[in-house]
Amino acid sequence: MEKLSRRELLKLSSAGALLGPVGLALQEQSAQGMEAYEIQLPENTIYSTCLQCNTGCPIKVKLYEGVASKIDGNPLSPWTFRPHLPLNTDIHTLAKVDGALCPKGQAGIQTTYDPYRIRKVLKRAGPRGSGKWEEIPFHQAVKEIVEGGKLFAHLGDDRVYPGLKDLWALRDPEIMKQMAQAVRAIWAEKDREKKKALVEKFKEDFKEHLHTLIDPDHPDLGPKNNQVVFAWGRLKAGRSDFIRWFFSQSFGTVNLHGHTTVCQGSLYFTGKAMSEQPTFDTTGKLSWSGGAKFYWQADLSKARFVVFVGANVFEGNYGPPLRVGWITERTSKGELEYAIVDPWAQKAVKGASRWIAPKPGHDAAIAMGVIRLLMEWGKIDRKFLSAANRAAAKAMGESSWTNATWLVKLKDGKPERLLRASDLGLAKPKAKVGDKEVELDAPVVLQEGRPVAFNPNDEGQPVFGDLWVNTTLNGIPVKSALELIKEEAFRHQVRTWAAFAGVQEEDIRFLAEKLAQYGKKAVVDVHRGASQHTNGFYNALAWFTVNALLGNIDHQGGFVQASTYDITGGRAGGPFPMGKLHPKPLSPFGISLIRHEVKYEDTTLFAGFPAKRPWYPHASDVYQEILPSAAQGYPYPVKILFHYMGSPAYALPGGSEQIQAMLDPDKIPLIVAFDIVVGDTYLFADYIIPDLSYLERWEFHGSHPSIIWKVQPVRQPAIAPIPEEVEVFGEKMPISLESFLMALAEHLGLPGFGEKGFANGMPFTHPDHFYLKLAANLAFGEKADGSDALPEASEEELEVFRQARRHLPPTVFAEERWRKAIGDESLFRRTVYLLNRGGRFQEFHKAYAPGDLVANRYGKQVNLFLEKQALSLHPMTGKPYWPLPAYFLPYQDVLGNQLRDPGYGLTLLTHRNILQTKSRTISNYWLLAIKPENEILVNAQDAARLGLRDGQLVKVVSATNPKGEWDLGPFGKKPMVGKVKVVQGLRPGCVAFPLGFGHWAYGASDIVINGQVVKGDPRRAKGIHANAAMRLDPYLKDMALTDVVGGSVVFYETRVNLIPV
Amino acid sequence: MDKEMRAGPDASLERRRFLAKMASAVFASMVAPGLAQGLPQAPTTPLTPEEEDVLLRMQKELERALKNPNRRWGMVIDLRKCVGCHACTVSCMAENRLPPGVVYRPVSEEEIGTFPNVTYRFVPQPCMQCDEPPCVPACPYNATWKRKDGIVEIDYELCVGCEKCIPACPYDSRHKDDGYYWTENTPGQGQMPYEELPVYEWGKKVNRDDEAGPMDKVRKCHFCLHRIERGLLPQCVVTCIGRATYFGDLEDPSSLVSELIRKPNVMRLKEEAGTKPRVYYLV
Repeated sequence: MEKLSRRELLKLSSAGALLGPVGLALQEQSAQGMEAYEIQLPENTIYSTCLQCNTGCPIKVKLYEGVASKIDGNPLSPWTFRPHLPLNTDIHTLAKVDGALCPKGQAGIQTTYDPYRIRKVLKRAGPRGSGKWEEIPFHQAVKEIVEGGKLFAHLGDDRVYPGLKDLWALRDPEIMKQMAQAVRAIWAEKDREKKKALVEKFKEDFKEHLHTLIDPDHPDLGPKNNQVVFAWGRLKAGRSDFIRWFFSQSFGTVNLHGHTTVCQGSLYFTGKAMSEQPTFDTTGKLSWSGGAKFYWQADLSKARFVVFVGANVFEGNYGPPLRVGWITERTSKGELEYAIVDPWAQKAVKGASRWIAPKPGHDAAIAMGVIRLLMEWGKIDRKFLSAANRAAAKAMGESSWTNATWLVKLKDGKPERLLRASDLGLAKPKAKVGDKEVELDAPVVLQEGRPVAFNPNDEGQPVFGDLWVNTTLNGIPVKSALELIKEEAFRHQVRTWAAFAGVQEEDIRFLAEKLAQYGKKAVVDVHRGASQHTNGFYNALAWFTVNALLGNIDHQGGFVQASTYDITGGRAGGPFPMGKLHPKPLSPFGISLIRHEVKYEDTTLFAGFPAKRPWYPHASDVYQEILPSAAQGYPYPVKILFHYMGSPAYALPGGSEQIQAMLDPDKIPLIVAFDIVVGDTYLFADYIIPDLSYLERWEFHGSHPSIIWKVQPVRQPAIAPIPEEVEVFGEKMPISLESFLMALAEHLGLPGFGEKGFANGMPFTHPDHFYLKLAANLAFGEKADGSDALPEASEEELEVFRQARRHLPPTVFAEERWRKAIGDESLFRRTVYLLNRGGRFQEFHKAYAPGDLVANRYGKQVNLFLEKQALSLHPMTGKPYWPLPAYFLPYQDVLGNQLRDPGYGLTLLTHRNILQTKSRTISNYWLLAIKPENEILVNAQDAARLGLRDGQLVKVVSATNPKGEWDLGPFGKKPMVGKVKVVQGLRPGCVAFPLGFGHWAYGASDIVINGQVVKGDPRRAKGIHANAAMRLDPYLKDMALTDVVGGSVVFYETRVNLIPV
Repeated sequence: MDKEMRAGPDASLERRRFLAKMASAVFASMVAPGLAQGLPQAPTTPLTPEEEDVLLRMQKELERALKNPNRRWGMVIDLRKCVGCHACTVSCMAENRLPPGVVYRPVSEEEIGTFPNVTYRFVPQPCMQCDEPPCVPACPYNATWKRKDGIVEIDYELCVGCEKCIPACPYDSRHKDDGYYWTENTPGQGQMPYEELPVYEWGKKVNRDDEAGPMDKVRKCHFCLHRIERGLLPQCVVTCIGRATYFGDLEDPSSLVSELIRKPNVMRLKEEAGTKPRVYYLV
């Protein structure tokens, strides 16, 4: 590794670019006696988007001679300025106004200019995790990964490693589509014998192509293409579109998996379950589709009372610059009041009306108590809840409605499924399905005691139902969904709910009173503190139900969702409809490595309960499953694993097991990683491809649920690339994720790249060709007639645009290439206008619709009874998933057995400190100057009881990690030892540590590159990271505790001890 | 530079004309700021909960103050709104290229109370720019003095780094630049690009290790003088995510800071020291 001085960086950029005319202009100014503040001028500013955490605040990168010199907030965005400036603000004025950023955003320069950045491809020069590397030429790496072979023979390893060329097995889009259809038919067949017959038929029908399958006896595993996996940590739009273009459409693997479940998966998948929409097929059968992986948050701009549940709103929670200002300004004026529900006294307890510290994982008990009180007091929004369909919502001036009044059929006293018209022989409503008039086997409500079947999507006929129904119809016992929720809430007295949660009855009464007082202007904002539990899905569902009962969805000051401008040209049909631009798109099929969005019981792998590992019919992106499943070869072996900007070993609970899964090449033959450094996980990879940091590349960051404005921030190259330059398709470009994938495509001959890479005949020989089209789509807007387009940049703006990029080498910025990638001068200028502002941001006042609703709405049905869950089986117990909000005990294994861990007396928690993200800010020395290490927080009562004192070193041990250490394979062992900090602000019985410290790589330890030792920096190794103490599942043994319903991995339940060392 | 950017003579002439025009526009905007004129008209239907970000108000006031030769700067920090995020501390480090060991605006954190009645106190503490600064007489070399605009200045050409002023300050606001770099003892060898950027303190643009630069001298907060003189608010003010820090001309009775220090809940740190700080706190 070489040192990266500014002089060298400048050498990498085009020579002389810095002595351009603007330099002269500045000198002219000096001659007039006024020295300009160079970094504040528009021609020295690039508007981009932060990535120091996932909040993604729009930023201005201020440049000094091509060096990123200072970063501040972009005041055009609602993240950093309040109200944000209008998008048509003059660029000279804009340059003078700085918005607010958090300390990590301010320190981002140190992530990019990290002395431990890698510049050339690294290939391991010892066993995985040995810490020994060699730099190899770019095209050697490309060739090796495409062709495979004895790649490590020089290390005495005679294994033949697989190559991509052998795994690109099924290449014909038509055959793939037909196979996928046949597999769907196999899954739909419930009879095991008939299912077998369909498999035999499949083998006959596709006998020419069986060699392309993983296992012809299990065609639902899909083609060998699926044995290539692409997994990621932090990935946003644009780059994700690029990756899908390559891996999904060109290569044809079904295995693209994100990291959602390590963040707040169960929150997302509760949102998905609640947003599934009723649909009818041409036979009139009701099913559910279109559920979105999303969740709602509070609109802090208008809310009067907010309950933050497990949401660290001052330090995390998407995110501080965006949300804190609303809270401090509005609480100081008396417009906003809030309560914190969190076992740890997060910083936001300062300013809160009340801090409630529940037992971790018992959040739903509080919600059930609140629901009971709201119902007792009649303070639920009965009018809203009585609306059973779209027309009823419309008639009330609401944008959404629930299935609260829909009747649920009971079996053995338990909810089985929704009642349908055919159950009672009721008249069926008619509706068009496609072109056909169909009689719908519709859901049923009771209207003044009379059952009525109705079309939930009807816009003309409002249907209101009776709220409380408990009766028998035609001999069928039925209850309304709301009645079932009530029964659950009334199972216990409020004081009992309080006791379950370990809080005071008065706490629950306080929350309920405030929620009742403010109604639609009161809202519960839930985050990962509630969702990262074995019962996380139901914690989120219980609290989301409170919001639905208040009727605050889509209301100003209520429960709101994110809204983004489209970049794929899908909504406008142009100018670049990316969905139609791939020349030969494959449609991957088959069971994914993490067994998601398919029911175990439907597949040919079904072999009784429990399954070998969990299946996730209602979740996706189950991060903790990727490596252990691959290592175990269930449901099939993986050949090549690509991993991008993630650190599962460091970020996931039970991280040691994630490392164990990576150590053996016989289990996962090839691991190829993309990152800017040798991180704590990619230390165990075979190859690391140097990537561009967030200040050097493209992406479109999107939004967050609390942002009521429609937005789309752009991340774009702001400085010259630090890693090496490479040549692909005859064009020079920086080495990066994109250039490496393009080189793989070139070597393989994958469709969708090259001279005529796009279906419209345009070339795809440089990453710009892709990203500029996305940017142009964003500039064009969402109206086919162009009426939503941004203005064209003036001559002056165009010149500022050029000058601001004069330090970028032609491999990154070449005006003619950018122009040609868009192809139309007018559209190019609109794109320049966009890039000069760093994105599109809706005007401040336009997010508030007249009346009480927000302008950008959810606007659909909200499920309180989850029929899709009710009609699928838990893969481990074989019982249907519970379809309603309920209080389940935490700390259970995947089979539902309660864990006890006698002898381990404390519950381990983690939290975010605003000075670190999880795994990638330890390089930021400015942040370390303020907080050089973390500590283990212990409540003073526990400290006294256990004889622990401030500053004392202790080891964290648990039932599944009794030694209290990280097993890093050949890299050694790292004890989980940290300093005690005695505090009052933590529930007794809990201990907690902030994430981000205790690294073993990312520059924290010595590694060897080309035989030379690269000394680690001890500042990066400080503090403790205790994820490896977190409880492993006793059935799986290779993975941490998991919520089998919502997919979340469990952070907040492990019983531990602190052993003085 | 790229091929298409190396355009023909006509184009380059065009660009020079443009640049000349733009340079003067920028120049004009720097000496005669016009933020109010530069912003598009606000919508006529006021549906917004707030009219404008308080940062805009302060920046407009700053532009007005720059025309007042008798301006005297002051800062107000609302402790109720400080969330202890340290963005101001880091922003200042980046803006002023502070090395290890030097901090201009630390924020202290303190837990208060007993479980479950717990809260926090966060106190940002920049140089107080005292009207009776004890650091000034402590300097044997007359390298530090009180300016007319209220700021306590240090002259890096006169300062010898003797550190006599450091213990004189009751607020611990002064620190010696001992010449360390953030990336020394790493592969960066203290020469990462951000460590080689010029420093803009005290009206000069210098390299840190220049004769007139801050290395081996005593350093402290200067209210981002280089920014305020160009119509820009101090870094700690603009990056405050809780909008807890306010800055402006205390001689202007209509300024936000003048308004705030008339509130009954205003205080200054260590009044008893008689230093008359120009930094006020709202509690």
